[in-house]
Amino acid sequence: MKRRARWRGRRECGFRAKPDSATTPNDGAPSVDPLSGDPVSLDPLSAPRPSQASHEVAIGVPADATPQPELTCEIDAALSWSLLPCGEPFDDVSLCERETFHNGGFEVVTRTLDLSPLQTTRVPIKLPALRAKTNGFLFPEAASWIPKNQDAPKASVAGRIGQDDAVGKLSKKPRRKSIKHARIKPPNDIVKLQDRLYYLLQPPLDLLVGSGQLNFPFEPFPYQLDGIAFLFPRYACVLADEMGLGKTMQAISTMRMLLCSGELRNILLICPKPLVSNWLREFGVWAPEIPVMAIEGNAAKREFQWRATNAPVKIANYELLMRDKEIVLESGLHFDLVALDEAQRIKNSNNTTSEIVRAIPRTRSWALTGTPVENSPDDLVGIFDFLSPGYLTTGMPLPQMAKAAGDYILRRTKDMVLDDMPPKLFRDADVDLTPEQWARYEAAESDGIIHLEELEESLTVQHVFELVLRLKQICNFDPVTGSSAKLQRLEADMEEVAASGQKAILFSQWTKTIEKMRPSLDRFGVLEYHGKIPHKQRETVIDQFKNDPEKRIILMSYGAGSVGLNLQFCRYVFLFDRWWNPAIEDQAINRAHRIGAAGSVTVTRMMAAGTIEQRIASVLDQKREMFDTLFSAQNEPVSTHDQAPKPASNSPLTRTGGLTRDEIFGLFDLRAPGGKKVA
Amino acid sequence: MGSSKDAAAATTIGYFTTVESERTGWTGGLLVLNASGRPLEFQCTLPIRPSRAHEILFGTTLRQHLISEVIGPTLLQKCRTPISLLCCGQTEAITLQENLPRSASSLPAGSAVGSTVVAVVQRDEEKRSRLLEGHCRLALGNATLHVAMERIDDAETAIAGLNEMVDTFEPFERITEAIREAQSQMARAA
Repeated sequence: MKRRARWRGRRECGFRAKPDSATTPNDGAPSVDPLSGDPVSLDPLSAPRPSQASHEVAIGVPADATPQPELTCEIDAALSWSLLPCGEPFDDVSLCERETFHNGGFEVVTRTLDLSPLQTTRVPIKLPALRAKTNGFLFPEAASWIPKNQDAPKASVAGRIGQDDAVGKLSKKPRRKSIKHARIKPPNDIVKLQDRLYYLLQPPLDLLVGSGQLNFPFEPFPYQLDGIAFLFPRYACVLADEMGLGKTMQAISTMRMLLCSGELRNILLICPKPLVSNWLREFGVWAPEIPVMAIEGNAAKREFQWRATNAPVKIANYELLMRDKEIVLESGLHFDLVALDEAQRIKNSNNTTSEIVRAIPRTRSWALTGTPVENSPDDLVGIFDFLSPGYLTTGMPLPQMAKAAGDYILRRTKDMVLDDMPPKLFRDADVDLTPEQWARYEAAESDGIIHLEELEESLTVQHVFELVLRLKQICNFDPVTGSSAKLQRLEADMEEVAASGQKAILFSQWTKTIEKMRPSLDRFGVLEYHGKIPHKQRETVIDQFKNDPEKRIILMSYGAGSVGLNLQFCRYVFLFDRWWNPAIEDQAINRAHRIGAAGSVTVTRMMAAGTIEQRIASVLDQKREMFDTLFSAQNEPVSTHDQAPKPASNSPLTRTGGLTRDEIFGLFDLRAPGGKKVA
Repeated sequence: MGSSKDAAAATTIGYFTTVESERTGWTGGLLVLNASGRPLEFQCTLPIRPSRAHEILFGTTLRQHLISEVIGPTLLQKCRTPISLLCCGQTEAITLQENLPRSASSLPAGSAVGSTVVAVVQRDEEKRSRLLEGHCRLALGNATLHVAMERIDDAETAIAGLNEMVDTFEPFERITEAIREAQSQMARAA
C-alpha cells in the first residue's frame, strides 16, 4: 500500500499518534477520527487533514524570480498519526520515493511511503432475524370477501357481544376527549379487546355523513354526532343534554342506526303523555322509514299493540304503564332497548311508575333528561336504579356520586357546544308593588306570621307553605282590587315586543293568574296553554301561535308548557312568578332558547321587590351555587355560564332548588318545631 | 371489471402503518375496509423490539427493513381478506411491493386487481411531497398516492372503486387507536 502526502503552506496538525486505533479493521467502513469523530480517509490526498507526516515535509520555492515567502508545513509528531518510529527524520526513510513538481508558482515536493497492508480481525455478531407475531380478527361483513377455498384457521369474529357480556357489568365509560372525528368509543363495560376494537375501528360518523352513507334530513351538529357515538355502543347511559340541544334527534338517530345494523329489533320508548305526539312527529322527521306505534286506546287495543311485531318502535306514556302493568311485565315481552324520556319522572325509586319501569325485561336502558338532578342528588340514584340497580346509593358523598355517575352521563350545555347559539339575556325586573298590593301584602304577612307563631307545636311546613303561596299570589295580583304592578310592567314590555313584530311566552305557576291577566293582554292576540286546556286543543293552540302573526303572546303554566315544545321563533320569555325549582324555569325558558332560535332570547324574571319572592330567589341561588361548587369537579367542563347577573344554572347535572323544610321555615325567621331556628 | 359499481363491489382497501414506541417497540397494524370505508378485517402485530445490534448494523435502513420486510409482509400474509389497494402511511413501505407474500401477489378471481397494489400516502398539502423514484402520483380523496410505475393501471382500477372515500388518512387514526387500545390492555394485564 502506498500513501502519498502532499501539503502546501504551513499548517499545524493536531493528530495524536495512535496507529492501532486508526488501523482497526472495519470491513470497509470508513475510519473515524478518534478525536473529532469525523470520517478520515486513508488516502491523504482526499483527506481533510494529513493522516501521516513527520517533521517538515515540503518546502515551497517560488518558480519565478519574485520573492515569495517561504511556506512550510510542520507536523507535530507527538500528536500525529505516523507509521514512522517516533523521532525518525522523514528524509531518512529509505523506502520513501521523492517527487518534485511545480504548482501555482510553488515547487512542491512529495514523498511516498510504502506501508505494509492492514491486518483485519473478524468479530462475529449473530443477528437474529426480526419476526413479527400477529393478532387479528374479521368483521362480520368480511365473510363475503374471503375466498371459500382458504383453509386458514377460522378467525374469530368481533362485535358479537352477548347479553351476558353487557348487562350488569356496568363499570365506567372512557372519558370523552375532544376529538376531530365523531368516533364510536367503546364503554368500559365492554371488556373483550376484540369487541372494543369492533367499535373503535368503525368509521367516524361525520365521514359517513360526508360520504352520503348516513343520511339525515338536516345536517346534524358535530356534538349531536358525538351524542350518537356515545349512545350507540352503550347498554346503560343517561343523555342529559341541556334542553333544546336535540336529545330527541340523537336518540332517534341512534335507534335508527342500531335497528339498521340489526343490533336492535324491539324498542320501547316511554315518555310523558303530552309528548307522545311530539315523538311520533320527530320519528317521522329523523327516521321516516322506521314503523313506529303509539300505544293507546282501550285495553283490548293496547294489549294487541303491546304484542304487535310489525313496528320495531313502540311509544308508551308513563301513565299508561300503570294500567298495562300486567301485560308489560308478565306476558313474556322483552325489549332490546327501553328508553325513558324525561327520565326525572322516575327519580323517586319508591313510586309505582319507577317500580314498573325498572321491572320491564330489557337488554339496554337509556335515560333521556335535561335535568338529571332536580331537587337533590338522590334524584340521580332513582334514575340509576333503572340503569344499573345499586350502582349509586342514597346518601353517597356528593363528589363520589358525581364521579361515578359521570362515567355514564353525557351532559352538554349550549354554552359548551353551540358557539353560534344566540345569547340568552336575563333581566331581573324588580317591580314595586302597587299601594293596594303592598298594603294587602304587609297585612297578610304580619297576620300570617302571628298565626303561625300561635300554632306553636302544631306548626307544620304545610302551614308555612300556605302562607308563602298566599303572599306570592298577592305579589301577582291584589285579590280585592285586582291591581298588579307586574301586569303593568308586562303590558309596557309587550307594547315593545308587539311593535317590534316579535312574540313572547309568559309562564306562571297558577292558571288563575293567567286567567286574570288575559283581558289586559287581549290586544296582543293572547293565547293560553295550561292544564285547563284540553289535550286535543293544545296542538291547535301551538299551531295558531306559530302561524298567526296577530298572536303575539302565549300564556303558559310551568306544568304544561315547560317540556317538549319547540317555540324557538319567540325572542321574549316572561316569568311572571318564579317556580320553586330553577330546573323547571330553565326548561320553560328553553322552549324559546333552543336550536334554531332566530336571535337572542330575552328572559324577564319578574319579582316583587322586598317580598317573599326575593327571599326565595336568594335561597335558591345560594343552593345553586353550592351545587355548582360540588359538581364543578365533574368531568365535563363548563365553558361559561349564562349571561345572568346571578347564577343561571348551567352547571352540569346540577339543577337543584326545592326548598327544604328548614329553609321554608327560615323564610319567615321561624323556628321549626323541635328544630333549631333557621335564619 | 365492468362498471365502476362492479369495481366498487370488488375493491377493498388496506391501511398499513406502524407505531414506534420507546417503551414497547414497533407495532404494525393492518386494517382492511370495503369501498365504503367499513371495516372488514384488522390485524396487528405484537410489539417487536430490535436489539442494539440490529440498530447498529441496519443503521438508517432499519426502519425500512422493519416496515417493508418484516412487519408488512407478515401482516399481509396473515390477512385473509384480499386487498386491492394497500395504502401505507410511511415512505419506508415503498419497497413492500417487492416483498408481497404469495397471498397478496396473486389475488383470487373476482378481485378488482390481480395483485395488491402498494401505495404510499402523502397529504396533498405536504410541500415536502416529492416524487419517489420509479413511482407515479395518483389522487385519492384528500391525498396523493405514490404507486410503482408498473402498477399504475391496477392502481387506477382500484381507485375507481373508491369514490366514497372522503378522508384518505382517517383510517390510519383508527389503526393507531386500536394499537393503543391493545397495548393498554396488555399493560393492564401485565
